[in-house]
Amino acid sequence: MASIYAPSLEDSAEVKEGFLCPLCLKDLQSFYQLQGHYEEEHSGDNRHVSGQLKSLVQKAKKAKDKLLKRDGDERTDGGYESFYYGGVDPYMWEPQELGATRSHLDSFKKQRAARIDHYVIEVNKCIIRLEKLTSFDRTSMDGAQIRSLEKSVVSWVNDQDVPFCPDCGGKFNIRNRRHHCRLCGSIMCRKCTEFLPLPMAYKLTSGSREALWAPGQTGSPGPVTQQTLRRGSITSISSVTSVLEEKDEDRVRCCHHCMDALLRYQRKLEEKDHVPDIVKLYERLRTCMEKVEAKAPEYTRMAESLNAGETAFSLENAAGLRMEIQKYYELIDVLSKKILTLGLKDELQPHPKALQLQRMVRYTATLFIQEKLLGLTSLPTKEKHEELKEKRREELEKRAQQERQTGLEAQKRRLENEKNRPALSTNGDVPAPRMTKAAGWLPQSDTLHTRSELDDPLLQQINNIESFLRQARSANRSDEVAMLEENLRQLQDEFDAQQTSRAIRLSQRLAEETDLQQSQIQHLQQRELEHRTHTTTSSDLGDTSQRREDEEDERSSGSTHLSGNSPPPPDTHTPARNPFEELEEKPTNSQTANGKKQYNPFEDEDDEEEEDTGNAKSPRNPFEEDCEDGNPFREVSAESPAASNNPFDDEEDEDDTIEEELLLQQIDNIRAYIFDAKLSGRSDEVELLSENLKELQRTLHEQKRKK
Amino acid sequence: MNVTLAVKQYISKMIESSGPGMKVLLMDKETTSIVSVVYTQSEILQKEVYLFERIDSQNRDNMKHLKAICFLRPTKENVEHLIQELRRPKYSVYFIYFSNVISKSEIKVLAEADEQEVVAEVQEFYGDFIAVNPHLFSLNIQGVSRGRSWEPSVLPRVTQGLTSVLLALKKCPMIRYQLSSDMSKRLAESVKQIITKEYELFDFRKTEVPPLLLILDRSDDAITPLLNQWTYQAMVHELLGLNNNRIDLSRVPGISKDLREVVLSAENDEFYANNLYLNFGEIGTNIKNLMEDFQKKKPKDQQKLESISDMKAFVDNYPQFKKMSGTVSKHVTVVGELSRLVSERQLMEVSEVEQELACQSDHSNAQQSLRRLLQNPRLSEIDAVRLVMLYALRYEKHSSSILPSLMEELNRKGVSERHRKMVQSMVEYGGKRVRGSDLIAPTDAVAITKQFFKGLKGVENVYTQHQPLLHDTLDQLIKGRLKDSQFPYLGPSSLRDRPQDIIVFIIGGATYEEAFTVYNLNRTMPGVRIILGGTAIHNTKSFLEEVTLAVGSGGDRTQGRGRPQSRR
Repeated sequence: MASIYAPSLEDSAEVKEGFLCPLCLKDLQSFYQLQGHYEEEHSGDNRHVSGQLKSLVQKAKKAKDKLLKRDGDERTDGGYESFYYGGVDPYMWEPQELGATRSHLDSFKKQRAARIDHYVIEVNKCIIRLEKLTSFDRTSMDGAQIRSLEKSVVSWVNDQDVPFCPDCGGKFNIRNRRHHCRLCGSIMCRKCTEFLPLPMAYKLTSGSREALWAPGQTGSPGPVTQQTLRRGSITSISSVTSVLEEKDEDRVRCCHHCMDALLRYQRKLEEKDHVPDIVKLYERLRTCMEKVEAKAPEYTRMAESLNAGETAFSLENAAGLRMEIQKYYELIDVLSKKILTLGLKDELQPHPKALQLQRMVRYTATLFIQEKLLGLTSLPTKEKHEELKEKRREELEKRAQQERQTGLEAQKRRLENEKNRPALSTNGDVPAPRMTKAAGWLPQSDTLHTRSELDDPLLQQINNIESFLRQARSANRSDEVAMLEENLRQLQDEFDAQQTSRAIRLSQRLAEETDLQQSQIQHLQQRELEHRTHTTTSSDLGDTSQRREDEEDERSSGSTHLSGNSPPPPDTHTPARNPFEELEEKPTNSQTANGKKQYNPFEDEDDEEEEDTGNAKSPRNPFEEDCEDGNPFREVSAESPAASNNPFDDEEDEDDTIEEELLLQQIDNIRAYIFDAKLSGRSDEVELLSENLKELQRTLHEQKRKK
Repeated sequence: MNVTLAVKQYISKMIESSGPGMKVLLMDKETTSIVSVVYTQSEILQKEVYLFERIDSQNRDNMKHLKAICFLRPTKENVEHLIQELRRPKYSVYFIYFSNVISKSEIKVLAEADEQEVVAEVQEFYGDFIAVNPHLFSLNIQGVSRGRSWEPSVLPRVTQGLTSVLLALKKCPMIRYQLSSDMSKRLAESVKQIITKEYELFDFRKTEVPPLLLILDRSDDAITPLLNQWTYQAMVHELLGLNNNRIDLSRVPGISKDLREVVLSAENDEFYANNLYLNFGEIGTNIKNLMEDFQKKKPKDQQKLESISDMKAFVDNYPQFKKMSGTVSKHVTVVGELSRLVSERQLMEVSEVEQELACQSDHSNAQQSLRRLLQNPRLSEIDAVRLVMLYALRYEKHSSSILPSLMEELNRKGVSERHRKMVQSMVEYGGKRVRGSDLIAPTDAVAITKQFFKGLKGVENVYTQHQPLLHDTLDQLIKGRLKDSQFPYLGPSSLRDRPQDIIVFIIGGATYEEAFTVYNLNRTMPGVRIILGGTAIHNTKSFLEEVTLAVGSGGDRTQGRGRPQSRR
């Protein structure tokens, strides 16, 4: 039995799918065929799992390298370790889950929260008090008034309670006087005092950034410079009183704890709203990259499909998508360049780290472009695409035919099985599900052979089943009938599916052809309009009839063009009639054979066309008249092939532009490479590249000149 | 069981969970090595990490538009640096990952420092080792021992490193150690202690056969690190020195600027990945093929680029070409330098004698060839010393040992006193008195017959006869024949089945030859996965330093350093 599947293994190079026999990998067309095949070929031998595994292992040995990766998993099954000669390359070890981790975030947050709450409350208190302190007009009040107001905001610490400055430890006396923080009421010495300038206070309390100072000032927090330090100066009484009298008109006295808290708060506020340029640019850069990443796979799919000659996507769409992606690349390039040069022109050079960051972002963008852009498969030109399409169609047809043939064979075999089965079932040997113990009853399948050969095996089958059904009904075997009906339904479904797919294929081809003709006809119409030799009615009529004939011609696959290539002979009607007859014969044939109405793409049109040809038979024949003219048609005939080729011509023009785009794009690329090479100091490469660049530019110029 | 992947996964997880936006990676000295071994710059750039900073670097600017990912070892200094950082944050958000277990109290200190609420994550990600290859890790620690016991500061670090490997691979192993080495026992106990203490962490899904940790001591096999190597990776390390997968080529004559330091990483260099374990001869052929391949891809001349399609092809191939040209020039340079050194130092001859000393047991033959080679004026100092060391180890107790006269010979050759002293140190470090296993003369009948057959067969390659002791140890371990008397289990339970997942750790450093052995075992033994680790990955030079540090004749080291070495 090994010989059955061993050879089929040898040629199982291509990927098969569908109804494959699990043992011999034979491709069978349908489930029934597969079932039939399995019962026929493999039911006898009691092949257990190890047999299959053996074949798997054989395969594994063939594709050893590929399978090595999977081996890790397989080995854990332990089933056929002995088939495998050894262990695994550590580089091929199976993926593993992320290693152990442990989070401390919760405890961290808990610890932090206690601290932060305290801090936040302090800051908020400060802000609220500051608001109160700045809510009145200081200039119009005297010191005492202000002081009482200030005291109302926060209760000041009693002077007697604090003999030493809590910050620097200096003893308070007549010279080293006590000062109160207006924000928390605590006491400190003069040295430890800080002043919060009013503008900053307003800003902090307003909460809105618009009221901020000019940007130049933001960097340097004012209070330090404004602080008046008269450290250690022995002052006279008058100077003491002057200090006493000192009115904090444009600032708020506070301790440095409050000051720190407020400064930090302020910085936070600034940072929250401030978005540096690099971030804005970077965000745009990322969105572009994401777009490319989203679109590139789609495009690659399209390009691959088009290159394979499939018609699932249109060339125009793909080209459009390609353009779009290329646009994004340009944008990425521009944006990253902008990031690279950010701040270089400013007087104050950015921090080297900031520059490094910019360089890195640019470098990454270049890498991204290099990797992704050059991975873009190019599209076929339209001509090439047509060629590819043609090739693929041929291939498909060939395959379809092959499949049909194998299907036919299998069908025949199945038919024979079917025939034999009832006989076998009496023995109970084959537990065929569709036949219950049908002792003695046999459908007369002989009729099958007497009937004429039908071209479609499915139709044959349907007919067979129908006859079985009839016989079964007459024999009153209801279970049988049900079974057969079910069977019939399935067959019909399949047949329908086959027919529709065929119809779709046909109509597609039809559509293409009519497209072609449409363009021809348009051209003709133009001609006709130009010449204006006929009355409008007659020319219209002629036109339509001409079109009809054209289509007929195409469909009957006649190679001679009636209208365009040769001036029609006076008795056009008889040859025009012919194709219809041919057409009519075939479908009706199959229709009657089917015994049921099937979708036929020709049918409707046939009727119409018949009517049309009736019209065309009208005595006034435009062709004859056209013929008389002679000359214009000669011209037409000379030009018509060109006209029919028109779309291709258009394309060629387009191709040129595409080439030019490609060139430009390549020039850009090469420039990028040169830049890259220069950066890393490979001078020889730079030379080579710039040579190429020149070359490209020259070709570009030439091409432009040609136009 | 892939250490490289384990670290990579940790790092990419860190980066992923920080979300989109520009990022900076804040590391310390050691984590920088840990990351750089598994990730290339361009790989990590693609993950939006644009800056790499040291936590202790002062030259860092405020960049509030960056997110900071901190990957740090949980040392006191790092915690201190981090506290400073959090007090005055330079970046907008901090994602903090410690490479090992960190104490609760330190978390508290950090939390208190984070007054501005910039910390978004605090985790332990156990990537506390250098993942050299998927099956090989190192801790990059030199000088682990003082005499026959641990350098006190090193043991905790080694324990951390080893437990982090276990955690990264999610293994809670049974532990076996080499009885003859007190250091092995200490380390085994120390690891066990951590496992017990952090039992919650080590609570992994139980496998049918528990994994095994085998702790060995370098002193058991001092011969392997003394041999010249002929496989690519090992050879590069022996002759040029691989440090975190990087080679310093700056001393190579006529080296171009961008090849001063090259990276040899199997992760990103296909040629290297394919040739890592091939021998020098095979590499020569492969390099030739690579060159030819490259020549084909290389755009011939400008003339060839006349047509647009030519140019298109050029541009299409360019990045690949560029990448390839990088690979080609790198490997051509490295292999070129290797072969220059091989011929300059006559390493073929040296290696032949080395292998004879290490693998054969014919004393008279060995001493003859050794004497002959020592007469060779082109023999470099380090090679002369290592040959004598090999002899001293091999025929330590031989009745007609010629060691004194060999020492004399070294002296005549002008070998520095430091190096001559090392011979004695080596015997002290790895001599018979110390060894627990039979490194040299196999005693049991099976081994002898094996040796005999080996002799009969004739050796296919004279230069690669040597099998490290580790091979036998692991072979016996896998077959379940490793003696409990020599390698006892820590604790009462022992393994009944054949082990499946094995982690071997060599105190005093592993070698690339052993890594190669383990690689081969992995490839040929079904159902077994072995990972090798060491306190370092040694070549002869670093091993000699290790020995010198251990034996404690460190006093005259500085003096020896001053002499120009004959190596280059």
